[in-house]
Amino acid sequence: MADTTSQSVTIRGVEKNFGSFKAVTDFNLEVAAGEFVTFLGPSGCGKSTTLKMLSGLLPQDKGEILFGERRIDMLPANQRNVGLVFQNYALFPHMTVAENIAFGLSMRRWSKPRKQQRVAELLSLVRLEGLENRKPEQLSGGQQQRVAVARALAFNPDLVLLDEPLSNLDAKLREQVRLDLRDIQKHARQTTVFVTHDQVEALVMSDRIVLMNAGRIEQIGTPVELYAAPLTEFGARFVGANNLVPATLHGDASDPRAIVDGVDGTLALTSMSEQLNEGAGAPIWLCVRPEHIFLTAYETMPAGGEVRQFNARVVDKVYQGTSVLIDLEVEKLGRVRAERPTMAAAELQAGQQTSIAFSSCHAVPRRR
Amino acid sequence: MKPRAGLGAVFSRTALTLYVIVMLIWLLFPIVLVLLASFQGKLEVDFSLAGLNLEAYKAIPPAYWQAFWFTVRAAVSATALAIVIAVPAAWAMVRGRLRGRRVLSNVVLIPDVVPQLIMGIALLTVFIPLHLSNNFAGILLALVALSLSTGLRFSEALLEGLPEEYEQAALSLGASRLKSFLLVTIPLIAPGIAIAALFIFMQNLVTFELLFFVAGPNATPISVRLFSDIVDRGVIPYAVAMAGILVYVAMAFYTLVAVTLGPKYMAGSVMSRKG
Repeated sequence: MADTTSQSVTIRGVEKNFGSFKAVTDFNLEVAAGEFVTFLGPSGCGKSTTLKMLSGLLPQDKGEILFGERRIDMLPANQRNVGLVFQNYALFPHMTVAENIAFGLSMRRWSKPRKQQRVAELLSLVRLEGLENRKPEQLSGGQQQRVAVARALAFNPDLVLLDEPLSNLDAKLREQVRLDLRDIQKHARQTTVFVTHDQVEALVMSDRIVLMNAGRIEQIGTPVELYAAPLTEFGARFVGANNLVPATLHGDASDPRAIVDGVDGTLALTSMSEQLNEGAGAPIWLCVRPEHIFLTAYETMPAGGEVRQFNARVVDKVYQGTSVLIDLEVEKLGRVRAERPTMAAAELQAGQQTSIAFSSCHAVPRRR
Repeated sequence: MKPRAGLGAVFSRTALTLYVIVMLIWLLFPIVLVLLASFQGKLEVDFSLAGLNLEAYKAIPPAYWQAFWFTVRAAVSATALAIVIAVPAAWAMVRGRLRGRRVLSNVVLIPDVVPQLIMGIALLTVFIPLHLSNNFAGILLALVALSLSTGLRFSEALLEGLPEEYEQAALSLGASRLKSFLLVTIPLIAPGIAIAALFIFMQNLVTFELLFFVAGPNATPISVRLFSDIVDRGVIPYAVAMAGILVYVAMAFYTLVAVTLGPKYMAGSVMSRKG
């Protein structure tokens, strides 16, 4: 791949209001050159608005945006050198694949041989060799998506923005394109911001994730950090279907413990996050992932941590191939979801009584 | 499916077919009558094929042809002008998200709603002091005034139906607003614009009431010429033949558009282009 001109991106105090509606507030982020950052959040959280402000299609009300050292937030979209991939691709239907990819190059007055060479490079990067003379409508959804990516990468943009580019693909294709896209981005060492509401996409593809809610950043972190150590209740609920167990903090920083509300005895907390600096007696959530809820009647728990066991009634069981989702009504805890290997839960029936357990090493404390 | 079609279904299908046939006859009968009359050289048409001849066509006087070509020139120029003015104006209205745009798009429809008779009188009072009655420029301006509302309405609908992402994509790829308009917007709405132009042209070719007021001996559109001759001398065969020619022109243009653009554009599917 040719050398890239990819830049770092700095966003400082960016804000956008639509009338009295605060779409984005106090948005601060540093994206390193070549990094793949995902804006993750539910619809209406401001992620697409932020993307539009980065692209220049929407002016921000406050704050500044820098590519490298250069401030670009006052430039219109056509002077920003940003590659944008739309949710519906927005390929020009009256142009061929090659013409679509070359559009940004023509606007930059590249010579014809240089254009041809670059288009050929990109076609091989997105593995669409031989399709250069097709019209977009003659391509499958996945192919159209790759043309859109090639078009956005062609002119060596400082930054590539992807606006939910996978949401129009069917599930099977989405999984493959996800990895393709990641591959292409790595290859091109292209600074990329990706917007999605799909936490799996975010976890699979990103170097870092910016979790957003109601126009604000909830948490910035690697996929592992976001999944294993959500900072806030919103984070815990949104990333992975966490079970939130109400509890109270007990003990001190040298021996942090928690008391599950309504249950006797304390539970040693092994992972105490730095952000949680409340003292004893503070109400907290214990986050337990569905895959860490065990069915003690059918399986033995792996050793480690202190185990808490509860009686539960099976409300529903959803088969999803290699695993099953089990909704449980648990004594003292309320609704809990477990995800178990299909084998482990083979005999489990909806409506039956059973018992579940989780270990303290899988209970991550969060601010309540 | 087929063997299950009961009596009711058969009946309703027959009724539907009949309905369509009756409607077609209703629409086409007067036109067919005019065409028959033009080939039989008389108004009391009979349905025998024996009497068909081209006498009425041969008898069309040069003044008619003059009026015809005058009208074609005026109609083509007016259509071109209307499109050139209407498309950018519609773009500004749709993409510029102008305040009070709904009001504006309804205001431009007024010339369509107001009877042409009144438009004609109004234009005449304006044109006389400006020396625009009884000449080509006056006819042209009158036709442009008439064409603009149709042109704007079509262009507005076309641009509304065109996802803004195409233009945004062009901008993000480095195109200026003008380039994005010329290289992306125009080619994408061109089929729709061609159809709009066709309708405007045909409307201009046959419009009568409006032109009746601003026309004169130096500037006589064919519709006005036919009207005054028929009023003066009754329905003469060569006037009917001329009317026949107008029908052929209309059919030829419609076919031309259908053939060049493909039938899918005729049903207005340009509005719902896949995103």
